[in-house]
Amino acid sequence: MTPLFSIKSGGPASWTIRVACALVLAYVLLWIPTSGSNSLIDTATTALTLMGAALALNLLHGFTGQISLGHSAFFGIGTYTTAVFVTRWGWSPLTTLPVAFAVAFVVGAAVSLPALRIKGVYLALVTLALAVVFPQFIKWPKIAWLTGGARGLTDTGFKFDKDNRTFELFGWNPWGNLRGENVKPFYYWIAVMIVVIVYLICRGLVKSRVGRSLIAIRDNSTAAAVMGVNLPVTKGLVFGLSAAMCALPGCLTAMKGTVTPDTALLTAIGSITFLIVMVVGGAGTLWGPIIGAIVFQFITEKTGDWADPKEIPSALRPIFSWSDVAPAGGIFALALIVLMFTAPHGLAGLWKRVTVRFVSVVPKPAGSSTVDERNVNDKP
Amino acid sequence: MTLLRATGLTAGYGPVTVLDGIDIEVNEGEIVVVLGANGAGKTTMMRSISGTIPRQGIIEFEGRSIQKATTDSIVRGGIVQVPQGRGTFPELSVADNLLAGAFVRRDGTKAIEDDIAKWYSLFPRLGERAMQRAGSLSGGEQQMLAIARALMSRPKLLLCDEPSMGLAPLITRELFKVIERLNRDEGLSVLLVEQNANLAMRIASRVYLLETGVIVASGSAAELSADDSIRKAYLGF
Amino acid sequence: MELFLQRLVDGFSEGSVYALIALGLVIIYRGTGHLNFAQGEMALFSTYVVYQFGEWGIPIGIAVIMGMGVGFALGAVTEVAIVRPVSKKSPFAVFIVTIGLFQLLNWLDGAIWGGQQLPNTGVGSKQVRFPSLFPSKPTDFVTIFGANIKIQSLGVIALVAVLTVVLFTVFNHTRLGLAMRAVAANGESAKLVGIRTGRVLMASWGLAAAIGALGGVVFAGINTNVNLGLMFTVFIYASAAATLGGFDSPGGAVIGGFSIGLIQNMAAGYAPKWVGQEMKVGVAFLVMLGVLLFRPSGLFGSSRVERV
Repeated sequence: MTPLFSIKSGGPASWTIRVACALVLAYVLLWIPTSGSNSLIDTATTALTLMGAALALNLLHGFTGQISLGHSAFFGIGTYTTAVFVTRWGWSPLTTLPVAFAVAFVVGAAVSLPALRIKGVYLALVTLALAVVFPQFIKWPKIAWLTGGARGLTDTGFKFDKDNRTFELFGWNPWGNLRGENVKPFYYWIAVMIVVIVYLICRGLVKSRVGRSLIAIRDNSTAAAVMGVNLPVTKGLVFGLSAAMCALPGCLTAMKGTVTPDTALLTAIGSITFLIVMVVGGAGTLWGPIIGAIVFQFITEKTGDWADPKEIPSALRPIFSWSDVAPAGGIFALALIVLMFTAPHGLAGLWKRVTVRFVSVVPKPAGSSTVDERNVNDKP
Repeated sequence: MTLLRATGLTAGYGPVTVLDGIDIEVNEGEIVVVLGANGAGKTTMMRSISGTIPRQGIIEFEGRSIQKATTDSIVRGGIVQVPQGRGTFPELSVADNLLAGAFVRRDGTKAIEDDIAKWYSLFPRLGERAMQRAGSLSGGEQQMLAIARALMSRPKLLLCDEPSMGLAPLITRELFKVIERLNRDEGLSVLLVEQNANLAMRIASRVYLLETGVIVASGSAAELSADDSIRKAYLGF
Repeated sequence: MELFLQRLVDGFSEGSVYALIALGLVIIYRGTGHLNFAQGEMALFSTYVVYQFGEWGIPIGIAVIMGMGVGFALGAVTEVAIVRPVSKKSPFAVFIVTIGLFQLLNWLDGAIWGGQQLPNTGVGSKQVRFPSLFPSKPTDFVTIFGANIKIQSLGVIALVAVLTVVLFTVFNHTRLGLAMRAVAANGESAKLVGIRTGRVLMASWGLAAAIGALGGVVFAGINTNVNLGLMFTVFIYASAAATLGGFDSPGGAVIGGFSIGLIQNMAAGYAPKWVGQEMKVGVAFLVMLGVLLFRPSGLFGSSRVERV
C-alpha cells in the first residue's frame, strides 16, 4: 500500500513538522505550571521523574541488549547522595546533581564488570538482587549513621525562606519560588531540566559513531569485537552512563524534602515500574519511554480512586468494583503480557506501524552529509 | 509393496519454498538414496516426512495419509528419522538414549531390554560405553548410537539424514555396511539422504537426484551411473 | 554448642524453603531454558489459595495437596498459553511476560486477599495467619545435645529430603522423567523419538509450580504470617541457591538451598554487627555475584549453563 505522503528527510516538510512539534511541546510545558492545578503539576513532575529513569534504562537495553532490574538502586543512589550532601554537609541541592551522577556512574560501571561474563537472564537476576539489597543496605546499622536508617532523613531539599529572591518576568512567574508558598513549579522545572539532559545524552549517543557501534555490539558481539569495538570498556561505559542518568531523577525525589528507604521507587518495585514504563512506551526508541511515562502516570492517577467503587465510571464498574485495591498494578501487569503478543515494541512501535502506511520518510542520498539522518530512532 | 509415497510434496520456511512439489516412493525392502548438494532441500524433505515442519501435498504411508499427522503419531506408525548431525541426547547415557528411542513402545520392559542387548551385540562399542554420557562419544559412535536409538522403536522405515557427515571414510564405510546388513537381514526399508554419492550408490536399490527442491532424475544406481552427463554433473565420477 | 546446633537446624529449615523454590526454577530452566521470574509469586498465589481452602474448613493436609494441584494447573497453563507462544518471538519477550506475571499475580493476591498495598512500600496492609504443617506450638521441640530443636524445623527438613528422593526417582526411573530429560537435552530429537514435547513442557512448568506451592506453604507456616511481600526476598535467596548449585542441576538446587540457608543463618548469628537481619539478603547477593564471577556454572551445573 503506497503511503499517502512522502517527506524528504532534512527537507522543508520535515523541518516544518519539527518546528511545529517543538512549539506545541513548549506550549504544553509552559501551560502546566502556569495554568495547571497543583495536582497536575505534581503528576507532571512524577511523570517526568519516571521518564528520566525509563530513558536511562532504555539506553542500556537499546544499546547493549542488557536487561537491568536494578535501576531502582541507582535511582536510590541519586536520592541518598543528594540527601546526605544536603543534610550532612549543607550543600545546595542542585549542586549535588553532578556528584550523584558521578557516584552512580562509578557504581554502575563496577556492577557491569561481572556482568560482562553473565548471560542476559542472570544479569537480570543479579540486578534484581541489587535492587532488593539497596533498601536493606540503607537500613544497615553500619551505614545508618549516614543515611538515617529506616527512619530516613528530613530537610533534604531546599531551604525555604520568606525572603528568598524570586524572579518574575513582567509579573509572570512560571517557575515558582523558594519562599515556601509556590514551590511545585520549581520541582517541575528541575524535572524538565533533568529529562532534557538525559534525553540529550541519549540522543547524542544514538546519533554518534560510538552509538552505532554499540548497536552493532547488541546484535552481534563477535562481529563487533572483530571490528575493533572494545567490548568490556564500552559495555562498562554504557552501564555506568545508564546508572548515572537514572540517579538524576532520584535526586529530585530527595529535593522534595524527605527521604525514606521504603519509598516504592527505591525498591525492586521501582525497577519494575521503570521497566513497565519503558516497555509500554516502546523499548528501543528515544521517545517510547517519554510516551510510556505519560501514559503510565495518567492511568495510575485516573484509576487511583477506583478502589472506591463509586469513583469508577459506570461502564467499567462491573470489571473493577469487585476488589478494594487500585487496579493500576493489575492493568499494567496485564498490559506487559498482552503487549508481548500484540505490540512488542510498545506504543511507539504501534505508532510507527500505523504511520508507516501514511507517511514515508525519504532519506538523504548516501554521502550527502557526514551524519546519517536515516536512523531507527529518528523522529522529532 | 509401496511403503511410502509422496506426491507433490511441498514445504518451506516462512515465505521461502524449499521443496517444490516432489514425487518420491519407497517400496518395502528397498534402500532408496536421495542425492543432492547443500541447499537442495534434503533435510527439508526429511522434516516434511517426519512431520516436524508443515507441508503440503500428498504423503501416504502404508496406504494411509500422514499429511496432517503429528510427529509422535508418525513415529508410532513406524517411520523414524536419524537426523542430520546425529541428534543424540548428549547429557543422557548411551543406555538412556536407547531407552528414549523405545519411548513409543508398549510391549514391556523385557522386550525393550532384549532389544538393547541385541544392539549392543551389533555395536559392541556402544555396549562398552553403556553408562557414558552420549556427548562424550566419538562422531562415529554417536552415529551408531543414533541409528540404534532409531531402531529401538522397531520402525518399518528408517530415514537417515546425511549419516556420513563429519565422519572419516573408513567409519562411513562401516556405517553403510551396517545399514545394508539391517536391510538385508531385518527387512528394514531405508530412505537415505546423502551428499557423498560414492558410498551411498553402492547400497542403493534406487536413487533420486534432488536439486533446488525438484527431482531432476531417478532410477537404479546402475542406470544413473551409466548416463554420462548425469554421472559427470551430479555424481562426480 | 547448643547455639551452633540450633543455628544449624534453623539454617537448614529456612534453606528447605529456598531449596523448594530453587527446585522449581531449575526444573523450568532445565526443561525449557527459561528463567521464571514469577516463580515466587506463583508460590505465593498457591499459598493464598491453600489459606482460602483452610478458611472453607478443609483440613490443612488436604488443602496443601489441593493447593499444589492448583499450582500445577497455574504453571501448565502459563506455559502453554503465555510462555510458549511468546518464546517464538524473543527471549526478551519471555522475560517481560514472566515479569508481567509476577506483577499480575501479586496484584491479584492483594485484590483478592491482601487488601490495599500500602502506598510507600510494596507490602500489603493485611496479614493473614497461616497454620503450619507441623506441630509448632512453643512446646513442640526435642532436645538434641542440649539444643532445643523445633519439631517444625525437623519436619520441614525431612519433607524436602523426601521430596528430593521422590523427584530423583521420577527423573531417573520413570517414563515421564526420561521424557523430561530428553526434551531438556535435545528438543528436536525428543520429537523424533515420539515424545510429545508440548505436554512435557507443560508438565515441567506444572511440576515446578506445584513444588513452589509447597515451598510457599512451608514458608508461610514458619513465618506464621502471609503478606504480599512474603516471597520477594525468598525469590532472591532461591535464585542464589540455584546459581550456587547450578541452574540445570536439581540436586544442586537442593544443596544450594540448604547452603544458602545455612550461610545466612550462620552469618546473621555469628556476625550480628556486620550482617544482622538487614543484610542477610546482602549475603545472598554476594554469593550470587561470587559464583557468577568465578564459577558461573555453579557447583553442579554443566558448562552449558555458562554461555556468554
